[in-house]
Amino acid sequence: MVNFTVDEIRGMMDKKRNIRNMSVIAHVDHGKSTLTDSLVSKAGIIAGAKAGETRFTDTRKDEQERCITIKSTAISMYFELEDKDLVFITSPDQREKDGKGFLINLIDSPGHVDFSSEVTAALRVTDGALVVVDCVSGVCVQTETVLRQAIAERIKPILFMNKMDRALLELQLDSEELFQTFQRIVENVNVIIATYNDDSGPMGEVRVDPSKGSVGFGSGLHGWAFTLKQFAEMYAEKFKIDVVKLMNRLWGESFFNGKTKKWTKQKDADNKRSFCMYILDPIYKIFDAIMNYKKEEYEALIPKLGIQLKHEDKDKDGKQLLKVVMRTWLPAGEALLQMIAIHLPSPVTAQKYRMEMLYEGPHDDEAAIGIKTCDPNAPLMMYISKMVPTSDKGRFYAFGRVFSGKVATGQKARIMGPNYTPGKKEDLYEKAIQRTILMMGRYVEAIEDVPSGNICGLVGVDQFLVKTGTITTFKDAHNLKVMKFSVSPVVRVAVEPKNPADLPKLVEGLKRLAKSDPMVQCIIEESGEHIIAGAGELHLEICLKDLEDDHACIPIKKSDPVVSYRETVSEESDQMCLSKSPNKHNRLFMKAQPMPDGLAEDIDDGKVNPRDEFKARARYLGEKYDYDVTEARKIWCFGPDGTGPNILVDCTKGVQYLNEIKDSVVAGFQWATKEGVLSEENLRGVRFNIFDVTLHADAIHRGGGQIIPTTRRCLYACLLTAAPRLMEPVYQCEIQCPEVAVGGIYGVLNRRRGHVFEEMQVAGTPMFVVKAYLPVNESFGFTADLRSNTGGQAFPQCVFDHWQILPGDPLDAGTRPFAVVQETRKRKGLKEGLPDLQSYLDKL
Amino acid sequence: MPQFSTHENVSLEKEVEVKRAIIQTNSDVIEEVYDIAKCVGWIRENGFQKVCLQFPDHLLPDSSEIALRLQNILGETVYILGDTAYESCCIDYVAAAHINADAIIHFGPTCFSKTSANVPYLNVNEKLPLNALVFGAALKDHFECIGTDFVVVLDDGYIHHYDDVCSVLQGLEVKKINEETLDLIDKNVIFIGNNQRKLMNIDLNFKPKTLHYFDPNQNPLAFKKFQVDSKIIKRRYFLMEKIRDANTLGIVIGTLGVENYLKVIDRVKKLAELCGKKYYLISVGKPTVAKLANIGEIDIYVMITCSMNEIYDSRDFYKPIVTPFDVEMALNPNTSDIKFTYDFNRYLNNLNDITSIARNENETDVSLLTGKLRSNRPDSISEEPDNKDLQMALKSDGSLALNTNFGAGYLSERSWKGLEQNLGQTEVKMAEEGRKGIAQGYTNEQI
Repeated sequence: MVNFTVDEIRGMMDKKRNIRNMSVIAHVDHGKSTLTDSLVSKAGIIAGAKAGETRFTDTRKDEQERCITIKSTAISMYFELEDKDLVFITSPDQREKDGKGFLINLIDSPGHVDFSSEVTAALRVTDGALVVVDCVSGVCVQTETVLRQAIAERIKPILFMNKMDRALLELQLDSEELFQTFQRIVENVNVIIATYNDDSGPMGEVRVDPSKGSVGFGSGLHGWAFTLKQFAEMYAEKFKIDVVKLMNRLWGESFFNGKTKKWTKQKDADNKRSFCMYILDPIYKIFDAIMNYKKEEYEALIPKLGIQLKHEDKDKDGKQLLKVVMRTWLPAGEALLQMIAIHLPSPVTAQKYRMEMLYEGPHDDEAAIGIKTCDPNAPLMMYISKMVPTSDKGRFYAFGRVFSGKVATGQKARIMGPNYTPGKKEDLYEKAIQRTILMMGRYVEAIEDVPSGNICGLVGVDQFLVKTGTITTFKDAHNLKVMKFSVSPVVRVAVEPKNPADLPKLVEGLKRLAKSDPMVQCIIEESGEHIIAGAGELHLEICLKDLEDDHACIPIKKSDPVVSYRETVSEESDQMCLSKSPNKHNRLFMKAQPMPDGLAEDIDDGKVNPRDEFKARARYLGEKYDYDVTEARKIWCFGPDGTGPNILVDCTKGVQYLNEIKDSVVAGFQWATKEGVLSEENLRGVRFNIFDVTLHADAIHRGGGQIIPTTRRCLYACLLTAAPRLMEPVYQCEIQCPEVAVGGIYGVLNRRRGHVFEEMQVAGTPMFVVKAYLPVNESFGFTADLRSNTGGQAFPQCVFDHWQILPGDPLDAGTRPFAVVQETRKRKGLKEGLPDLQSYLDKL
Repeated sequence: MPQFSTHENVSLEKEVEVKRAIIQTNSDVIEEVYDIAKCVGWIRENGFQKVCLQFPDHLLPDSSEIALRLQNILGETVYILGDTAYESCCIDYVAAAHINADAIIHFGPTCFSKTSANVPYLNVNEKLPLNALVFGAALKDHFECIGTDFVVVLDDGYIHHYDDVCSVLQGLEVKKINEETLDLIDKNVIFIGNNQRKLMNIDLNFKPKTLHYFDPNQNPLAFKKFQVDSKIIKRRYFLMEKIRDANTLGIVIGTLGVENYLKVIDRVKKLAELCGKKYYLISVGKPTVAKLANIGEIDIYVMITCSMNEIYDSRDFYKPIVTPFDVEMALNPNTSDIKFTYDFNRYLNNLNDITSIARNENETDVSLLTGKLRSNRPDSISEEPDNKDLQMALKSDGSLALNTNFGAGYLSERSWKGLEQNLGQTEVKMAEEGRKGIAQGYTNEQI
């Protein structure tokens, strides 16, 4: 490792064109952290003593024990490109004229779906992503998820095929098969990229291409890697061909005939695929010679490849020797760092096209221009993407990226939370930044200031932000957009202290937990239960452990995990529902009906939202969902919380004073959609239509007091007459296993109401992938169950996918939804039994 | 003006929600049941001129008979208080003050609340049946060993059986519920009666070791152990968090008769002020869902009322209703030693005076309801009006956002701004006959 002083690092930070901010993303167990290690040992800055330590970026004890990354961790690296490599960087924004040293800020992120919110947070502060794919398993569900997220955030990907050692040693694939595997993975990745990226968009073409050098191959575990560039350089002289041209010839349908010395585009009897011949064959030879202990052969081979072994390594043999030879021949750090420096964008390049995705304000104000030009002299704009616990309990470093200006110790700045709106004071604080720090793995270093384009931590702003926020010095700045997570907190546990007197500590701990995790929700339910909601069982397990050990420091009792349900309707109300106000002077006539499939999801995704221009929204609803356009223009509101997936539509004609009660009706609607009639769960996918209202002529008799409770009663009556149903959350599960275990998987899924919708063999491997939908409620203990039924060979990845109606009528005693409703009512301290329609419905 | 008032039939035919069965006592026994002689004696002894009779709803049918008899005997007018402003268990001295009454006779169930009235009053309890012998036998059956820490407490309807019960339960302590010095701490209490709210109050206020109750009206006769519903206690956490989140408190006057009600209002006001919350003092008579939903800007209501009031448990209200205790616990970081009770008099006198709540501007807090940050400063950022119109801010889509942080600024967030004239938009038409009457039933309506 290289040792630098803080001043030297600070110097590099000014050379913004030579900075690369990148994340490492992948499916779980595809070897991100191990690969990162090989980079750190090559180029990590500071803390030389710790070099070579395994899983450097797994900073937590449980991460080391479980061998799984839980929190994303940043490290900085320094790497110098040689002159011959510098020519590969053509854009003037991608390197400083006078510098060949590159500062690479790398964030290693977790691969398990339960922690994808960490990935989201990592992507936000970086411009490029190293997508790691295990070439044995291929592209998996989480690869796709994170890649999709990266593209959506305008993060440029490069690809690395990991675990080549396994492909050679375990699968014994021949070179052509291995090439096919590689090609398939490249294709799969490019299909995903093409699906979510517009090539004509501002980011341009982002597909990965081995012949351009944006795809790497190798083994993180053994510490070797290469791109076509490395081999092209080796052969360039021999063939007398330019490196770039040769790289093109070394990939794909390009064959070389050893006898005629001719390149062709077709395979025939005498020629051989150039990739196999010039790249894979030498590697195969080394593997074969060393692993089969053909000492003479490899002793001849090694010097031929230009490898000089150290004296102490010469006595090694077998796998140990293989590692040393490969590592010396094709050092992973070199190849990867070249890929990163050449192919990933600098902040200068990236912020040009990222600004419009990042900034909520006008695209021509000072802040926007500062971001766009990555100008260190513009007003400060920094996004805090997560909170990192400090050794001081209850305090956090605010970790984020400076997009514009400079952030400095002692600087007075505006701290804006996600609910800040310009011109208002809500969620806005003006405070001095106590300290700016560099965060590298386990270590932090104080630094005077940090200019735009860099990643750093702040001390002293944690009290003013919950999870994320914007820091700025520009008074009229708007927020940087909040991150959108690909997972939802659908699994919940109730916690209480073992000793009731510890309750205040628990509450304090919950608040800290809420800050430290990007996605976890800590809430007190109406019943007074303390609830922690997370993405899945593993996520909750980690959260609970953190709560017990770090945040609250008290023993905790937890309930079994439960899911939250949603209430919906399955038909239109079978009658016009009338409710009269308490003074009997006002009447509301309404009906409920289910939303067409997909609309609730569109609202969730923000494709249909309350801030849309109403005419455009009505047109969209008319085209996509066959809604009457005039009616669709009169959507009064969304709910719950003003944005939820239920709508209230004014279908009245010529009603006097209607606008006057709108606020009250909306308030009643928000209330009723938040607490449904069956068990006070949120509503989902319900459209309410107001058909008529009769109002008292005198305004005093149609005030909120009369209308709000009446609206709620009327909406409840609508729900009860529209065949109400419960909805449960459903996971999409992807399970990888060998063929023999597939039967066991079906058994387990059947018992848990799961249903398989796809089963296929991973081409080129004996592995099968089974995709299934599984109700979240049935997923507790699923992993363990699956392992015991498949001899530990199947490993599921579950991610929340959609809401699905729980079959059965909740109003019918003896059905499952009925039992769920009763259970929920009991838990919430509501009257047991069913709500009575008569108490909500009035007669004319 | 039929448009503006409800038809009188509505009031006459309106069904009153009666929680207890209406009682009409046989005129032969009225004398005895209502202690007419005792009342007369008390009035004559003190020489009261204007006496009011207060009845709960379920005893109202007997009221006229009692009043008549008293008038006949006393030869002076007595007054029946037809409607009790708040709870019928408390002495309604405000209603009595309308005629400057100098005494009140209160019939029916009473509560624990001490009255703030300085008008003399007499409680006449109901006389419910109880077979002391059966009770005694059942007690011995149910409890294997009855130690000296057993106390039998008679609810107000059974107080007239006091002597019978004492003689049956030789040597056992027997108390009346209305005794001034009721000390039940660490006792095994047997309560005769079935009022759950009263049981809850006994449990919360007196902290007995165990609390069993015996309901003589129930078949089969049995002793049941009373346990405070843990849900009610747990719900406090939610409500306290709600109070901390609230910007505006509504302090609802739900009593004028309970001792110290002004003091507790002051306390709540002070806490709200110190925590930078706005508050409104609201008097709406008997609080109903409709009345309290009229004021949309209030986030939470603090009800100042008698501890027997059931409104605290109601979930029908648009905004939650909390006790003064919840406010104390939520807003005063120094009170952690008081236990939950509906009765503010239980802790009010033990509280230390607060002059300030140490609020560190740099301390913030995460709300466990919304997940948002809760600050300790209401308005610490001094946004200098640097010649810019602060009531507007530019939003990304070019639309304007109104700054609504000033005085009644919240009103500008409402969609309805006043009558719509729609000048020039509405077609001019000849007047035609519309509906007649009121919305509740138009005279010319076709049904």
